[in-house]
Amino acid sequence: MRDRSRRVLVHVGTPKTGTSFVQDVLWLNRESLARQGILYPADRFDEHFLAALDLLELPWGGLERQAVGAWDRLAARIRDWSGTAIVSHEILATATRQQVRRALDSFGDAEVHVVLSARDLVRQIPAEWQENVKHRRTLGYRQFLDKVTDPGRNGELASWFWGVQEVPDILDRWGSRLPADQVHLITVPKPGAPRRLLWERFAAVLGLDAAALAPETTRANTSLGVPETALVRRINERVNNGVLRNEDYRLFVRELLVHRSLSLRTGSARLLLPPDVRSWAVRLSESWIEELHRRGYHVEGSLEELRPDPDGRAPFTDPDRPEERDVSDAAVHAVVTLLEELANVSGSLRAELEATYVELERSRSPWFRAKRRLRLEAGRRPAVGRALAAYRRVRRSSSRSA
Amino acid sequence: MSYQQAVWAWNQHLRAGGVTPWREWLRTRPEGGGTDDPHVPAAWVPPGAAQLEFVRLAALLGAHDPRFVRLADLATGRSGPGRGLAQQPLWWPPDVPGRRFGAPPVDPSQVPAEELVRVGVGALVELLLAVPEPPPRVRRRSRTARWRSGYVVEGAPVTRSALRRSLAEQGYAEGGRRPRVLLAVEPFDDLLAQVWSARVQRGAAVRWHGFVRRWAGRAALPPAADLPALARSWADRVGVDRVHVLVGADSSFDPAAAVRPAGRREEGVAGPEPEVRDLSPAAVDVLRRVNAVLSVRVAPERQRSVLPGLVDDLARVAPPGPGLTVPPPFQDWARSRAERIADELRSGDYPVHGSLEGILPRVAGLRTHPSRQDALAVVLAACLRQVR
Repeated sequence: MRDRSRRVLVHVGTPKTGTSFVQDVLWLNRESLARQGILYPADRFDEHFLAALDLLELPWGGLERQAVGAWDRLAARIRDWSGTAIVSHEILATATRQQVRRALDSFGDAEVHVVLSARDLVRQIPAEWQENVKHRRTLGYRQFLDKVTDPGRNGELASWFWGVQEVPDILDRWGSRLPADQVHLITVPKPGAPRRLLWERFAAVLGLDAAALAPETTRANTSLGVPETALVRRINERVNNGVLRNEDYRLFVRELLVHRSLSLRTGSARLLLPPDVRSWAVRLSESWIEELHRRGYHVEGSLEELRPDPDGRAPFTDPDRPEERDVSDAAVHAVVTLLEELANVSGSLRAELEATYVELERSRSPWFRAKRRLRLEAGRRPAVGRALAAYRRVRRSSSRSA
Repeated sequence: MSYQQAVWAWNQHLRAGGVTPWREWLRTRPEGGGTDDPHVPAAWVPPGAAQLEFVRLAALLGAHDPRFVRLADLATGRSGPGRGLAQQPLWWPPDVPGRRFGAPPVDPSQVPAEELVRVGVGALVELLLAVPEPPPRVRRRSRTARWRSGYVVEGAPVTRSALRRSLAEQGYAEGGRRPRVLLAVEPFDDLLAQVWSARVQRGAAVRWHGFVRRWAGRAALPPAADLPALARSWADRVGVDRVHVLVGADSSFDPAAAVRPAGRREEGVAGPEPEVRDLSPAAVDVLRRVNAVLSVRVAPERQRSVLPGLVDDLARVAPPGPGLTVPPPFQDWARSRAERIADELRSGDYPVHGSLEGILPRVAGLRTHPSRQDALAVVLAACLRQVR
């Protein structure tokens, strides 16, 4: 028997549909939400990601060590909560039926709602390739497209792609044991819609006060242009052979270069689908819309928004053959960013070193401090320098004679 | 009979030790019998093709064991861990109702070995973790020569381990103030494979290809494979003439001859347990996959407690056999690195036993990555051994 006073809303994806943004709002407001009876169980911002890694038994560049037991801890907190709880991570979309069963069983007798946010496939496919590039992959765009359009879906890449993107299948895996009104599909508005609209849709499904939780977060999964993506792919080719460890890659390439620098260059050509793949994706989208209509899930937004826009708005720019001038422009931008960072880091390191010296000085004898002072002065005043050199010569000759 | 009922019935057939392949079973299943319209429990989640085919293969090897059904339920009750293909439904004559989307169906006999290994590794991990944590192993320490000069073995980890054990069994004591040093040299590709095996046996999850690629991109070598550095370091401490370079297992040189001056302490002493076992490439590959899952399932201490027993089992179920060589993109690198090592050892004037040409990679006739079919055989055997 389900306890209707206890609800768990499980937001399982899809990537590139504002998930990072929503998770950040939930994380930043978790205390005020708890006062309203809504639990976002997290003591660190990536706690639900770690829980998902645990549930899916998924190694993730060393992070998995921190994920040991994370799902059970999350579920235990939810079972102990008397109101609504929210779980959100987009990689949950790939869960198998067995993993879904384990997840849903772990919430005890709470009424479970599954939430999926979705965007039209024509925008999702290029975004997924870009996400691949941001995760050290070096696969070309056309190779990527060939893999995802292959009906056999052979290989990990195609499996992962469809695991996180095939909306009807994700909802079947997660929602087939739930009544249709407990399965919620949030559609991402078309480009040009008010920025708050997606947030308002999330808030409506998650039972949040959209106005009260006016999002202040700046965390969003930003996209890159064509030359910027081509540049990062080339960087990957150079740094993957043991040059950068995963944690350094995350810090310097993904965080610094991609998120804080290259994604701000909004003037470059955007990544689109080539015409042949676009036509295929449009046909596939139609079959999804038809199927989702048939299933009768609760839709926040409109299934029409999953139908790609008529094409012809912008020409396709091939990221496998980018304009070299644009790539080198992006590269110069990247170098400047790195130099700025280097200057900042070395400046703060120098300051820290100075502070450490001061501390050390305090702990040392007056004679040592006087000598150090003299050395510093010798560097600044020539007269003191000459006197110190004379003193050293005398000392050396006296120690030799001894 | 619906798809779900058919899968349920085949699953029951396999749990009972049946080995009929899916399509043959569909064709020949008894009409009108009790299995024609089975009741499927509401909470039952149909396993994928890979899980059921793994059970069928396990049944071919060990269905006679009364605990086989436990392995069958473990394999079908969970999905394969980590990354891989999506869980595929089983091939079905008409289109499966409600299955227009999702991974394409597959004849279970056509599931790639990689996916079967993945399922097997998931079941193996469950079996390993179901056993209560064993008391920490007390490694029998080798006797050390404190005041007289003993010996030290360095170099290729698997060879080193075997050599230490052999010398200890002959009564020679390790260590001492100015030990004689035996530097075990193997062909460079084998040397790297031994270092890879040693790391995996200590808990690493790196693939062979990734391991070689990583080191090929660096100026340095793994410490155990940096033979010139090891030789130099010991020569500085004990003198060049006490550092013996032993090339290859087929050397006519008797390692004991180098340590004989130190004298025997005691006859018939058991040697230390090998630190690094001589595992087949497929066994190392299975082990590194298990490590990957354990790293997300349990704390490092628990992983360390589980590994020795598993390594013992893998050594039993998979004889070492021919080793690995480096993948083609790194073969030029391996050859030039080996030549440099040989030159540096030659110029060090150490006593060399065997020809330093023996450090060149063998390459020809060897696999460049562990065989997935072999890995499948290893994981099946390991599961059946663990479940007993």
